[in-house]
Amino acid sequence: MSIRIQGVSKNFGSFRALDDVSLDVPSGSLLALLGPSGSGKTTLLRIIAGLEVADRGTVLHHDENITEYEARDRKVGFVFQHYALFRHMTIAENIGYGLRVRGVPKQERQTRVDELLKLIRLDGLGSRYPAQLSGGQRQRVALARALAARPNVLLLDEPFGALDARVRTELRQWLRKLHEEIQVTSVFVTHDQEEAFEVADHVVIMNEGRIEQVGTPVEVFERPANAFVMDFLGNVNVFHGRVERGRAVVSGLTVAYPDYPHPEARDAAVYVRPHELDVERNRTEAGGLAAKILHVNPTGSRTKVELRALDSNQLINVELTPERFAELGLKSGETVHVSPRRVRVFVPDYEI
Amino acid sequence: MTVETAEVRDAPRTRAATMKIRRAQQDPAWLRWSLTGLAAFVVGVLIVIPVLNVFAGALAEGAGVYWKNLVDDPDTLHAVGLTLTVVPIAVTANVIFGVAAAWAIARFSFPGRTFLTALIDLPFSVSPVVAGLMFVLIFGLQGYFGAFLRRDGYAIMPYLVAAVLVLLLAVAYFVFRPSHPRARRGLWKTPPLALAVAGATVFALLVLGQQAFEVWPANKSLKIIFATPGLVLATAFVTFPFVARELIPVMNAVGADEELAALSLGASGWQMFWHVTVPNVKWGLVYGIILCNARAMGEFGAVYVVSGHIAGETDTMPLRIEKLFQEYNMPGSFAVASVLTLLAILTLIVKRKLEDRIPQSEEGRRTGAHP
Repeated sequence: MSIRIQGVSKNFGSFRALDDVSLDVPSGSLLALLGPSGSGKTTLLRIIAGLEVADRGTVLHHDENITEYEARDRKVGFVFQHYALFRHMTIAENIGYGLRVRGVPKQERQTRVDELLKLIRLDGLGSRYPAQLSGGQRQRVALARALAARPNVLLLDEPFGALDARVRTELRQWLRKLHEEIQVTSVFVTHDQEEAFEVADHVVIMNEGRIEQVGTPVEVFERPANAFVMDFLGNVNVFHGRVERGRAVVSGLTVAYPDYPHPEARDAAVYVRPHELDVERNRTEAGGLAAKILHVNPTGSRTKVELRALDSNQLINVELTPERFAELGLKSGETVHVSPRRVRVFVPDYEI
Repeated sequence: MTVETAEVRDAPRTRAATMKIRRAQQDPAWLRWSLTGLAAFVVGVLIVIPVLNVFAGALAEGAGVYWKNLVDDPDTLHAVGLTLTVVPIAVTANVIFGVAAAWAIARFSFPGRTFLTALIDLPFSVSPVVAGLMFVLIFGLQGYFGAFLRRDGYAIMPYLVAAVLVLLLAVAYFVFRPSHPRARRGLWKTPPLALAVAGATVFALLVLGQQAFEVWPANKSLKIIFATPGLVLATAFVTFPFVARELIPVMNAVGADEELAALSLGASGWQMFWHVTVPNVKWGLVYGIILCNARAMGEFGAVYVVSGHIAGETDTMPLRIEKLFQEYNMPGSFAVASVLTLLAILTLIVKRKLEDRIPQSEEGRRTGAHP
């Protein structure tokens, strides 16, 4: 069941949590709301769930306007960051609660609970209490509880935030698989881009109550819409320079920028990811920044080189493949030339 | 405990060094013993001996006289009965108001929230005598409503009863109102209109009924001060903070997530309250009720002012004790005092038993919310 959000705004006192947000979640998709804390992603999720009331705007489920509906009538499953399991009820009672308040007969309830316990691989633990389970188990119970009444939409608020790294990775893969099995429209909130890219098939990047970009993980990573998205998704080197006549110029380095053909120069920021920078011992004809190597970190699948530009004293991070690094044989203290394979230029908006 | 952690931290430490730490972290024997002794002495002199003395005084002339003092004096019996009437009413009222106030304060933010929080504490800071005087000033003969209550006091009853009924109706309306907009028809759609219609009907029925059938006596004075209603009001006022004060921190600690989870799972507000809120704050509530009850039974100051000490009519147990004492009837006074003390000890035992059970649920709560 698709979700359509139209022009939703929400203020908490003088704090603007959401500013005229519109978003379409296609039926059956798994979408991640990604953004720094305070970007309004949890508020948006809670408005979809009916746990928070929007000041303005509408929420539609499959063309049915549910803005005025209370949380209990929206048929959503909500998973909280800290699980919010009913501590005085057993696991089975927790999972069956949604069915119990909807008046489902006991036997039917029991069947469904057993089915879900099997799905979350906790069969036989139905009579335990939440306090007797590990964090990962509790989060799976919370998920089963949200799914018990067959919701139209599944909403997850930082579902793996409170878990340790290993369990988190495991649960991510499990959630991905579960979604493929049951195909329920799902939205989850996270501030971890790796998590968003790994689990979701669509990513919504939010900042300061607004949506910055919507797209598949590849789209937003390869073609970031603006400087914020570029900066937020992974490490990036930012060079300040100017653009004119289809070129961007940063101290000694010139790259083509056909989007700006105008003759008058303007300030611009040039963004380069560490793995899109290359290091040469000698200056090539394309030009390059002379920089001194400060530190080399050869651990991991990529060798990280930290440099300082000679003219601007700016720190530059470069990631090389181990083969390329071995070929160059770089050492700390050497002076080399850094050139980008690919850049993205963002010109601040005109302000008149 | 500090010694243990030190050992864990620096495992390869010699035994002698450990002993040294232990000695450095512990006070010398003479200091420990004299402090413990002082504490025991103070507790003994201020608590144990006086409490034992109450029973000694009560039983001074033998168990037979003790029993006679309690049972044969109709005024004493009436005082026990009156206390056992006033206290449950006051405690019930405070449980209802306390839960409502705690819920409002812990779960919602509204203008005047901090003011309400401060107001809840007011009865703790006001002297009970002043609290009693307050009610005398309002309902007493010279008070604002005194003249009216004396002339035709029962005339307020239709309005009072109607107000209570409308309040109950309003609660019932929101409990039974369908939440889904499509399921709402007629008056379910317009709460203000529905409540106005219901309110007007109830008021009209009661006021007209009173005029036609004189359900409550006309031109008869309704006594509040120097009567049981005054005692209930004063007791309830003085013990008001206990339930709310116990509940607010518990509700804050539990958080709203479980309640929101229940709502999103399809529970109504009423179901959420009974299935989730009440079980989560159960111990806080029980504890608040116990403290409220203990204080209500022993209340003297406020009750003293509003009761007028009419033996066999408005004397509660504490007032009866004082009166017997003033009449130099020591065994009688001590006999009633011993009953009150026994009730207090019983309360303490119940509280103690409950505390033994709380830690494990408290433990579950902590690990349950944040592992």
